[in-house]
Amino acid sequence: MSEQVIDASVIAIGSRPSARSAGTFMPRLITGLALLLLWELVVRALAPPYVAKPTSVVMAVPRVITDPTFLSATGATLLAVAEGLAIALVAGIVIGLSMGRSPAVERSLRHYVNGFYAMPMIVILPLFSLWFGYSGATRIATIIFAAIFSIIINVADGANSVPREYLEVARSFRASRLRGLIDIVLPSSMPYLLAGIRLAAGRALIGAVVAEFFLSIGGVGYYILYNSRIYRHDQAFVGVLLLAAFGVSFELLVNWCTRRFMPWYRRDEQTG
Amino acid sequence: MKRFGTLRHHAPFWLSIAAGIALWEIAGRNTSAAFMVPFSETLVRLWQLVASGEFIHQLLESAKLFITGFVLAVVIGLPFGMLLARVRTLRIGIEPYLMIVYATPLVALIPFILSMMGFGFAPKVLVVFLFAVFSVIYNTVEGARSIKPEMLEVAHSFRSNEWVLWREVMLPHTLPYAMTGVRQAIGRALVGMIAAEFFLSSTGLGQLIMSASQNFDTGGVFASILVIALIGIGLMRVGLLIERHFARWRQ
Repeated sequence: MSEQVIDASVIAIGSRPSARSAGTFMPRLITGLALLLLWELVVRALAPPYVAKPTSVVMAVPRVITDPTFLSATGATLLAVAEGLAIALVAGIVIGLSMGRSPAVERSLRHYVNGFYAMPMIVILPLFSLWFGYSGATRIATIIFAAIFSIIINVADGANSVPREYLEVARSFRASRLRGLIDIVLPSSMPYLLAGIRLAAGRALIGAVVAEFFLSIGGVGYYILYNSRIYRHDQAFVGVLLLAAFGVSFELLVNWCTRRFMPWYRRDEQTG
Repeated sequence: MKRFGTLRHHAPFWLSIAAGIALWEIAGRNTSAAFMVPFSETLVRLWQLVASGEFIHQLLESAKLFITGFVLAVVIGLPFGMLLARVRTLRIGIEPYLMIVYATPLVALIPFILSMMGFGFAPKVLVVFLFAVFSVIYNTVEGARSIKPEMLEVAHSFRSNEWVLWREVMLPHTLPYAMTGVRQAIGRALVGMIAAEFFLSSTGLGQLIMSASQNFDTGGVFASILVIALIGIGLMRVGLLIERHFARWRQ
């Protein structure tokens, strides 16, 4: 199970210096413009007028981002995601560390963690809505459920992969178990943790949107659902752009953190 | 002796499963039936659903959706990823956009698909396809990045033709990554399948669980979740096997 989570984390963006060089800029710009043009032309030629196309989405942007409904929806979703991620992070680190350092805990929990991770997280929604009602609590619970297992798996793998010598040195200096955990195990599993957080953030965002669809509670997901139901696809698409921006910036942030604070952690050398 | 060895090897697994079931049973018996149903009753409810034929029907319905969307994703994603892997300019041009789409929660597109395509089978297949296809493309391209330019240069200086180049360099390097993508795609397609069944026309296992929750049939909800979880675990296993089979190529 370990390699699969790390494999997903191997997907990093902009981690190669060459990606920033001038040689890549023109092909990217041209491809981007070509894609937008293609989208515009296809929609104009084939689709009914309400369908979102680049020009009309751009026109809708100023209207949407000054719309108080949209702003409060954004706030509600992002707050829920942050809250859920924070809870998943703390609980996930505690569970993951204990799994990584204690074979007994690992043996009793491993199959459940892997099982919950493998199951499509959104099937839990109907059950959570029975338990917590059609409310924000269900959204938070869904976000936690979506996020926590990738954190647990990664932290456990990280804690498991601490070189044995490090801990032996700590022990010969009479460091307590707790100190060893905080000063050695936690820092050396940081890259794993960050990989887990990146996966978790993506899943949390999906969880939030799906929960809002399902529960019809205020948020970006519901904003998109509502506006596309009344055929305001342009407005609704601005919501999608916001989610994309959030997903991408989180991804970039985690990559930046990995390079900035953990330069010793290198994925396989990639070539451009 | 060997038997004893495997027993010892598997004992912790069965012990932890037994403990989990016991916990579920106890928790279920001590809470209101509207919240939680014990394991035994969940099995009884599952058996009723199977016996009525309802369950098998919905399972096949889901399988049809999953397989169609997933196969389309692989059949389209793999060649497209390979094309990007070979044509460097195209790959460099498209990479950032691929990354953006990959990082976007594509569930957000479901309402658009609903209002444009309605309630048929095709929009649901599109959802499963969209969920799965980018994992395949993204990872194939990632594999292409792992090919060192020197390898291609050496191949060229030995006058390798296109076919030899593919056999000796491209395929061995990209396929293992592509199969990681296929494994991820299996998981994502499953989420896409459930999402499509929840939010587009309600069919399959998604409908089973939705109607159970609307009828406050908690036993039905638990039975469906149990089955879907087992399917998820089983498919994940299959994915890992496929991936491992090809990973032998990866150095």
